[in-house]
Amino acid sequence: MKHFWRKVCALVVCACSLLGCAPSHPGRVVVGSKNFTESFILGEMIAQQIEAHANLRVERRFYLAGSYICQQAILAGRIDVYPEYTGTALTAILKQPANGDKEAVYQRVKSEYEQRFGLTLGPALGFNDTFAMEIRGEDARRLNVKTLSEAARLAPQWRAGFGYEFMERPDGYPGLAAAYGLHFAEQPRIMDLGLLARALKDHQIDLAAGNATDGLIPALDLVALEDDRHYFPPYEAVPVIREQTVAQHPEVARALAELGGKISDEEMRQMNYEVDAQHRDTRDVVREFLQRKGLIAGTDPSTP
Amino acid sequence: MNVIRFMVENQAQVLELTLEHLWLVGVSTFLATLIGVPLGILIAHRRQLNRPVLAGANIIQTIPSLALFGFLLPVPWLGARSDRLAILALTLYALLPIIRNTYEGIRGVDAAVLEAGRGMGMTEVQLLFQVELPLAMSVILSGIRVAAVISVGLATIAAAIGAGGLGEFIFRGLAMVDDRVILAGAIPAAILALLADFSVGWLERRLRLR
Amino acid sequence: MSAENTNPAIEFRDVAYRVGETQVLSGFNLHIARGETLVLLGRSGSGKTTTLKLINRLATPTSGEVLVNGASACESDVIRLRRGMGYVIQEVGLFPHFTVARNIGLVPKIGGWPEEKVRARVEELLQLVGLPAELASRYPHQLSGGQRQRVGVARALAADPNILLMDEPFGALDPLTRDELQREFLLLQRRLRKTVVFVTHDLREALRLGSRIALMEAGRLVTVLSPREFLTSPDPWASAYVRAFGDGLESAANRGAS
Repeated sequence: MKHFWRKVCALVVCACSLLGCAPSHPGRVVVGSKNFTESFILGEMIAQQIEAHANLRVERRFYLAGSYICQQAILAGRIDVYPEYTGTALTAILKQPANGDKEAVYQRVKSEYEQRFGLTLGPALGFNDTFAMEIRGEDARRLNVKTLSEAARLAPQWRAGFGYEFMERPDGYPGLAAAYGLHFAEQPRIMDLGLLARALKDHQIDLAAGNATDGLIPALDLVALEDDRHYFPPYEAVPVIREQTVAQHPEVARALAELGGKISDEEMRQMNYEVDAQHRDTRDVVREFLQRKGLIAGTDPSTP
Repeated sequence: MNVIRFMVENQAQVLELTLEHLWLVGVSTFLATLIGVPLGILIAHRRQLNRPVLAGANIIQTIPSLALFGFLLPVPWLGARSDRLAILALTLYALLPIIRNTYEGIRGVDAAVLEAGRGMGMTEVQLLFQVELPLAMSVILSGIRVAAVISVGLATIAAAIGAGGLGEFIFRGLAMVDDRVILAGAIPAAILALLADFSVGWLERRLRLR
Repeated sequence: MSAENTNPAIEFRDVAYRVGETQVLSGFNLHIARGETLVLLGRSGSGKTTTLKLINRLATPTSGEVLVNGASACESDVIRLRRGMGYVIQEVGLFPHFTVARNIGLVPKIGGWPEEKVRARVEELLQLVGLPAELASRYPHQLSGGQRQRVGVARALAADPNILLMDEPFGALDPLTRDELQREFLLLQRRLRKTVVFVTHDLREALRLGSRIALMEAGRLVTVLSPREFLTSPDPWASAYVRAFGDGLESAANRGAS
């Protein structure tokens, strides 16, 4: 009887010590992403860049459901790098008020991450995916409206449509309305994000909140109004990496550094459009982009 | 089959997530046993505490798991890391079956045996370790078995708050609308539950009096 | 004879015991001499089992004193007190997860006896109670009722206590086995000369086994008589018992019906 229990205990101890080891990824890098198109594209880009330049196996763990999940995953070492936005990192994860320009926000996020979490940021990828107030192209041209301040004068004649989160977040609609003195004819309608662009096109609403890099902006001839009072914080896309990964694989940091500043707002919109509207494979879109930029080998098939 | 091929191609990830899942379930079941068995022994001997303790454990069980995860998120040290949080929540959920079965197991020991033991001059501690616990062990293990199986299921929900484990496959698969990924999480989870049930059940049977 | 031998082994001085609203025992006074077999006879509810439990402190008196070997039971270390007495109950209460040998050797084991000594004692006791040595490695559920109770007696005698408390030990057995065990009890007692307090509701058993019979009714001690005296006693309760049990009691009273 005693021997039986001793065996059981030994088994349990073995099992525990096995499980006690934190997950480590010898010789491979795990890239995560959130669950929307732009995030996959960036995740895929990071993955392909590392594969090409760092000679490491890359595992992709995309579709993680949001900043919190990604943060937990990277803290626990389940993923090694994922694309985040500086503004989101500042407000949602560091829980600090969003103010300051691009450079200041980037530096603040970087130093806090390094101090508190053992994470660091690669250089910003080049575009600012901030909130964009969109109006129809025809209205923009006819009324000669380019900025939000100009739009604010016309707001009483317009109907607005926003997503639920934008309406509720204090740094969303409430703050925006205060900053620009926006007053619409009626309460803005709350709609599903996917339907906003359509509704705008179909004249059901005259102004919608979207993202600056929405693929549908060029496709549907929409115009993003300029945030001339700089109400929205910068949302620069950056790769967040574990310091441990950088230490073990410095070639990863170098590979990511090469991506710095390579994607403009326009280029990001184009890639989003190709994946969302044209339903092209993310991997192909990303590979073509990297080839075009000379970051990976191979000729761009579309150049004559 | 597609799922099998997917799991083989991604075996490193499947293995990693399975181990994570086992860690969540293992640690929480272990902690729940550490807390629950002594509590069960206590209330079996002090009947007055019986109702409040069982009622407390019952209330915890009725809170929907996702809600419990949500409540605990703002807590300072715990909420910072969701696997800590998940382990705490899973431990809380495992308490009721363990406490209750320990209580029932000990109360089920034949009163004549206890009287004889006491009359012969055994101390309460000797009675507890040499008579009550060995005789109640099968029932206690049954409670631990139920707790472990429940934990395997609940741990899949823990992925919703970022604690990892096989639930991550399920949630990602749902977002991707990809069955293979969903099943790559669901199938191992089901197998784990069956394994837990079977292995603890085997221990139970060995210890049950013929 | 030294003065020690004439001191009572167990003494009850004005003992009363109350549980909630019920007065279970009242005004109880009794001396139990060394080496005698004192039978507590009475019907259900007479308080006889409670009286027994007051001796090994499974119950404590509400008032009055119980003395064991001259010392107050309530002031002695309860564990030492109990280990110095053998306790046999009707349901036997063998540990189902222990072998017969481990059951018998329990008190010596927790008393710190060395392995060898315990094993030798178990063998000795099995022989004493008339059980074959191979039974030592069996489990209680593999034994018959009579065998189980023999093990119960062996267990009670294991640490060689001076006092033996027995609460209707043969009550759950069939008449043949009961007769066998009663006979063996008499033989054992002749050899060992323990102080035995024996509870029963069976007059025949009381007459056969007891050196004195303490008749109890409704928590009071009615009378204490030798078996012969009991049969011819004018006391109304005693004669009621004799009538209830019918014929053939003399032979029981004469003891040693072989």
